[in-house]
Parts: sequence; structure tokens; C-alpha cells
Amino acid sequence: MKMICINCPRGCEMDVEKRDNGDVSVSGNACPRGEAYAKSEIVNPTRMVTGLVRVAGMRKPLPVKTRTAIPKGRIDAVLFALHQTTVQLPVKIGDVIIPDVAETGVDVVATANM
Amino acid sequence: MKTDVAVIGAGVVGCAVARELTRWNLNVVVLEAGSDVAEGASKANSAIVHAGFDAQPGTNKAKFNVLGNRMFEDVCRELKVPFRRNGSLVLAFGEDDEKTLAELKSRGEANGVPTEIITQEELRRREPNVSPEATAALWAPTGGICCPYELTFRYAENAAANGAEFFFDAKVVSISRAVPRGDAPCDAPFPYCVVCEDGREFIARAVVNCAGCHSDEINNLIAPVKYSITARRGEYLMLDRDEDGAFSSTMFQCPGKMGKGILVSPTVDGTVIVGPTAEDVADKEDKATTYAGLEKVKAGARRTWPGLPLGKVIAEFSGMRAHETTQGDFVIGEASGAPGFFNALGVESPGLTSAPAIGVSLAEEVAAFLKVSRKNPSLISKDVSWWPKTREMPPEELAALVERDPSFGRVVCRCEEITEGEIRASIRARVGARTLDGIKRRTRSGMGRCQGGFCTPRLIEILGSELGLPPEAFLLSRKTAPLALKAQAAGNGEQGTGNGFLDVLVVGAGPAGLAAACAAKETLRGTGNGERGTDGNVLVIERDDAPGGILQQCIHNGFGLHRFKEELTGPEYAQRFVDKAASLGIPVVCGTMVLDVQPQPDGGARVTAMSPRGGLKIYKTRSVVLAMGCRERPRGALMTPGTRPAGVYTAGTVQRLVNMDGIMPGRRVVILGSGDIGLIMARRLTFSGAKVLACVEIMKKSSGLMRNVVQCLNDYDIPLLLSHTVTDVEGREHVTGVKVAKVDDNLKPIPGTEMHFDCDTLVLSCGLIPENELTKKAGVEMVPKTRGPKVDPKTMATSVPGIFAGGNVVRVYDLVDWVSRDSEIAGRSAAKYAKEVRL
Repeated sequence: MKMICINCPRGCEMDVEKRDNGDVSVSGNACPRGEAYAKSEIVNPTRMVTGLVRVAGMRKPLPVKTRTAIPKGRIDAVLFALHQTTVQLPVKIGDVIIPDVAETGVDVVATANM
Repeated sequence: MKTDVAVIGAGVVGCAVARELTRWNLNVVVLEAGSDVAEGASKANSAIVHAGFDAQPGTNKAKFNVLGNRMFEDVCRELKVPFRRNGSLVLAFGEDDEKTLAELKSRGEANGVPTEIITQEELRRREPNVSPEATAALWAPTGGICCPYELTFRYAENAAANGAEFFFDAKVVSISRAVPRGDAPCDAPFPYCVVCEDGREFIARAVVNCAGCHSDEINNLIAPVKYSITARRGEYLMLDRDEDGAFSSTMFQCPGKMGKGILVSPTVDGTVIVGPTAEDVADKEDKATTYAGLEKVKAGARRTWPGLPLGKVIAEFSGMRAHETTQGDFVIGEASGAPGFFNALGVESPGLTSAPAIGVSLAEEVAAFLKVSRKNPSLISKDVSWWPKTREMPPEELAALVERDPSFGRVVCRCEEITEGEIRASIRARVGARTLDGIKRRTRSGMGRCQGGFCTPRLIEILGSELGLPPEAFLLSRKTAPLALKAQAAGNGEQGTGNGFLDVLVVGAGPAGLAAACAAKETLRGTGNGERGTDGNVLVIERDDAPGGILQQCIHNGFGLHRFKEELTGPEYAQRFVDKAASLGIPVVCGTMVLDVQPQPDGGARVTAMSPRGGLKIYKTRSVVLAMGCRERPRGALMTPGTRPAGVYTAGTVQRLVNMDGIMPGRRVVILGSGDIGLIMARRLTFSGAKVLACVEIMKKSSGLMRNVVQCLNDYDIPLLLSHTVTDVEGREHVTGVKVAKVDDNLKPIPGTEMHFDCDTLVLSCGLIPENELTKKAGVEMVPKTRGPKVDPKTMATSVPGIFAGGNVVRVYDLVDWVSRDSEIAGRSAAKYAKEVRL
């Protein structure tokens, strides 16, 4: 199948083949990250999630992200958890806002100082 | 409520009548169906004060045109409204037209209007941009230009200062002579009972009908002689201030049956207006622009101006003229069979010109009917709620003003340089702004080339704080948010630095400016010459309240892969540079707008900046790095036809509203253009609960990065419609839907391929334009293709010694990593220049 690598702005168009024995062959990628992405995209696609959480007493929200990529199928669960969260200031970049968000094993951290 | 006179309609005629009525001993109310003054024909017309040679002698049009024209100097001086007698020219293209010119000349003589026929040579001497096809012209020196909504607004203010009361959202549905309800009997011979749609009732001894396109309906409610008005729509294009001076006079073509044809004219605000078409429409409120109409405007304008620069279009709009169908003349005066009911009916062009004269004439008639005397002149207020226009003030006066009221030092609309003080004054006026449009027409905030892209979030915040309402209220519709008590404005803190001689002054604290400042500081560090310390003086000036630039609102990941070898979000990337600048001890002055960068003859530059706290400051610096970034292309630049409702935003504005201000602009969204910000916002809006129906791209491939198409559209099953464009925007108050059609190889919509989307929001993501007002003012050579300054890529030096540029101000970059890299080159070069220059 055709696949576009999302690792960097180059956006390599790759040919990805999953064999019967479970091996995955990748061509068209310019760097090893493409191959890794393609394999993971076939077996267990993952995404970084960036979002917003409410700040107590303020209209302006706090931007946050998952520290690493989480399984694509869990995006909705992560968004729901973000929606349920209100933080107290002050907050610094990297502060853990939701540990182990939606049981993904990944923390949601702040991406701005507020 | 009881009153002497009820004026129906708060356009320029209604407000002029109301103001003149207040010169007499009369109580006056003004009833307006819309949410503000100047909501009808007065807000969208050619803004021309006609000389008066065109109207048929003996008509009301001729009479009031000529009288009104003569009054304009005095009226505009009294009301403090800009007016310029720039003269007008009617062009002839060949012999037939020249005959028409002769006819117009003799009509002018009959009307008492001086004109003169000039030759092709003389015409081309006066107007070098005019088409060589024009063979002669009729010159009318008394033609002029004026701002129609400002005139209307000041008329209303002066009327209100003299006791007139304004009622908005007051659509009149019935006029009768029934005996009034309530306890107090009415003493006039013929009291009228005027009832509004919402039940409000006004008992008036006289009624003046100034209801524009609806003046037939008002007349027909009570007067035995019925009239009918056709709404005649005119479409226009507005060109950027860059084109100021393209023509000095108003350029007409020979008039036809439907009107005066397509004109090209300077405006008092320095823009150029082009239009109108003339098309009778069935629906009097159908102010949509159309593809065919705009094409007609372009073609007509090119006839006068072959070099018409379409790239400089900032807005397209349409206006409605009230054409009386039987005689085609103004109907002015008391209606026969309805004593005390006065008409100003069918006032189409030259209505703006005639308004002052109609006002005086009708006021005299009404006063005679009610047998009242003139007010003692000493009791008449001259007040028009005037506020200072900061962009026109000399620097010393501005400095003094900002010291008295710091809000006049905070620039909100950066295109038109409108300050918070002016905006607050426009809301606090007697007939104050209650809507975004109200602010726009009173102050010009949002009327410049970005068309509100940057200032809308600030304006709704200010409206909210003044009127005590949540900011979202002002995004719902173009109508008024409910009137509410004025809230106390909150103060704002801000840092400042003193005047001084700097090595490098950086304009802008986004990623480009901060990278340049850090690189400059590192280059100067420890190498500064003895006479002025060691570290070098680097200063960054930023107009926003915090450093970081647009990255502050780009909360998604994907920044810094090259620079930091990790994937950061926008605020994280920005923070690295903010921290670096802080550790290098570089002061960043926020909330300060640089107004001018002037290179000095002996090297270096003087930089003028303004802030609420610090007032107006002039910095002397050895070198300057320009890092103002870029702005989005507004709707106007795209020439999308349709209505102009609330709910159309650029992607960056939506990003700011959602990510910074916590405001969701809508629930069902169509995105026009597939720029990266649009793609990113498709995902963000989906995350925030909206349904993104489609992303529509006119080209054959996405203009954004493929990775963003994959992870922002494909991941969420949002269709990307390539080779499609939006052909119509629907909705009067708020967007209700858009039409989308496939385009052919020439990017023209293919008939029969239209599809419809029900949506409440249209997001535009159609590219970015470097923001180079300061660059141009500084006399730097520009590159037309990139719209940025010409730079030497090795040093990022511009054509002016000592002035360097970095980041999106030079050209629009895909990646912030390259912005930082190139801006560092600019910073280092500026530092080297500062070390070498002898001042």
C-alpha cells in the first residue's frame, strides 16, 4: 500500500508491503524514521496529541501534549480526559498535567508557561 | 412614548434630517430597523459628492444635488468629517461619448454647475494612469469625496447632542392616526401612532420617512399616493492604500440608463474604490456579491484604468440604491393626503451629496407645519463626540495624548493603526458602536488590508468589557449584542526602557526577531568597543503583550525537528528562544508598536515606537533587523462572491480564538484553501467538537504539507476537495451555508458542478503575505514576487545600509527552523554592521 510519512515536512511517499509471515517491507523512504513509521503504522498506528485544558478562573486555556505518541485508536479517550481537566496556575513547560492519560502509559504535559 | 417628530431610518438622510430638526424647538426620535446608523445604502456606496451636471434640470435630484454640493464644506467642517473637493472627470471613449460630454456640459450649465471639456493630452497630463483610449473628458471642479458612514455617524452624534433620541432594532410595521392609548391626550392636530415590530409605540405629531430602500413600504402604510421602490444593487471592489494617488480625481465613464457607470475614485481614507454595477434585485436585503458582478466591475474599471492591480484588492462588497420606479426622481416633502407625513423617498445617487440639503429643507417644512420656532443658536450644541485620530496626529501631540490616556498608545488594528482609545471612544459615543461593524465604520479598525484578521479577537474583548457582555456575543451575528451597562475598562501593565543609542534594534519578538536578537548579542558580546561598554546594546520591540509571535497560538507539534532534533509544539519552540534572549540579557519591550523606521543620512536609523505606558519614543540605533512576520490573505483578496455575514474567519483568527482566547467560533465548518494553518485548524476544530465538512482547494494539489493532509484530514475522514472553490457564501446575519463548485484548468467554476454545504463557519486558509509597511516606509527596495524586501542571502542585508530583515517578513517560510537560521544571519550581520559604522 501507499503511505505518506508524517515524521517530517518532506512527507516521503512510501510503498509498504505486509507479507504473510508478518514481515513488513518498506521502500521510498529517505531515512530510517520512515521505515519505523511505516511498520508502526501497519501494526499499531500512533499519534502525538496536542490540545487544550481549562485553567481555573481564566478563559485562556493551557496548551498541552502527550509526551510521546499514543495509539491512534485512543485519541478520543485522550481528548475526553483533556476535556475533563481543569488546572491551577502556575504551570511550567513540561509539568505533568495528567499522568498516564486514558491508561496509555503516556503523560500529558504542559507546553507553555502560564 | 410621545414626541414631536419621528424620523424613520438612520441613514445619512435620516440622520441629516434629525440633526436639522434639532435646530428647531422640537423633540425628535429616530427609529432604525437595523442595529446601527448607516446600515443601508449609506454604508456601501461610491462615497462621491457629485458636482451635479448629470441630473436632469428641474428634477429634485438636480436641485438637491447642487444645493447639497455647495453645503459640503460647511457641513463637514461643523461635523469634523473629512471631505476633499478632488474634482471629477467623465471620460469619453470616441466620438459618440464626446457628444454625450457636450450634453452633460449643457445640462451642467442648466443646473448651474461649472464644467469644462479637456483634451486627451490635458487628461493624460492630469491623470497619467488613465487609459490611452480615452479621447477627451469633462472636468467638473466641484466634485468631491467624503466618507459616507462617518458623515452619517457624526450627523447622528450632533443630533443626539441636541436631544434627538435613537432607537435601534426598531422596525416600523404600522403607522396610523388612531387616538393614542395611555393617559396623556395628544394635543397635535394630526398625531401619528408609529408602532414597531417589537411593540414599541411612538406618538408623533409629524413623521419623516427616510427609510431608503423600504421608504415605499413606509409611505404605503399611511399615505394615499402609493410608491414603489426597486432595490438596485451595486457591487464594488476596494483597493489597498498602496494604490493611493493612482488617480487624483474621481473618474467616471459616460452615464447609461442604469446609472453613472463604473467609476474609479480615490477615497478620503487613502484607498481606491472601483464600481458599481447596477442590477435590479427582487430582495431588498440581498447584498451578496456575485461572480458575474465582480467580473463586470473589473472589466469596466480596466476600461478607465488598464493597469488595475487586482492583487491589491482588499475587499469586495455590494450596496443597495433605492430607485423610485415611476419617475426615477427623489420624492421629497409632505405626502399629499397625509398632512404631517413627510417623505424622503427614492433617494438613490446623488443621495449622499443631497443629504445636507434634504435635511435642511425637510426640517424647515416640518417646523412650518408644526409652527415652531428656531432654537436660540447659543443653545445648540456643536458636539459630535469627536475623538483624536492617532494616525493623523503630529508626534508631539500624540505623545502628550498617550501620557494623558495610555489607551491611545495601544494599537489594536495594525493595518489602519487604530488605537484602543479610539475604539473605546467609538463605543462610548452617544450613538456608540454596539457591533464589530459599528466599530469598523466609526474608526476604520478592521477596514485595512487584513480585514480584521488580527484585530477581531481584540475588538470583541474591548466590546465585551465596555458593554459588559461575553466576547462571543459579538461573533454571533452582524446585529447588536443586547445593550448592556458599560463595564469599567481594565488597566494593563507593561514594561519599558528609556531612550538610548542602540547597536541593534529588532522589530518583532517572534521566532525571527528573537533568533536575530540572540545572534546579534552573541556577536557583539565581549567585542564591543570601549567607549560604549562591552556587551552591545540589543533591544527587541514587540507589539503583542508577550514575546513568541504567532507560535504562541500554534499549539500543535512539529516544530524544531531540524534545529533541536526533537518535535516541539509552537509555544515550546518559542519559549526556547524567549529563555535564550532572557539569559543573554536582551530586553524585550512588549505592547509597543513600531510606527516608523527612518534611515539616517550618516548611517543608522531612528525608530519611532508607541506604547500605552511609555508613550511615543524615538530610538536611535546603529542597525535594525526587521522581523514583523506575515499576515493572512483576507477574504477580500480572494474575491469570493456572496453575502458578508458573521462567521467568515481566516484560519489564523480561528486559531487565536480557539487556542488563546478559549472561544469556539462555530460547529459546522468548511475550510477554503489547504494551507497548513487551515489543515491544522481542521484537526483542532474536530478535537474541540466541531464537524469539519470539507476542505476546499482551488489548485490540483494541497498547498500545505503532505504530512498535515495525512494527520489532520485523512485521520479524521475530512474530505479534501481539490480543484474546487467556494462560489457563494450564504446567510445574512451569520453564515448559513456555502456553495462549492469544481473549477476548470483556468480556475473558473464549471457550471453544473455546484454542491451545497450547510455550515455556520467558513475558514479561509489561502496563503500568507509578508507584512512590510515599515519596510516600504523606510525606503527599502522590494521584490514584487515575494512581497518582501530584496535581501542579500549571505547577510540578509536590505538595499538600505544598516537595515536587515529576517523570517516571514522576507518571504513566507514553510518551517520555523529555517526562519530561525536565516534570522540569525540577519542578527549577526546587523551586529557586524553596528561595530563598523562610525556615528
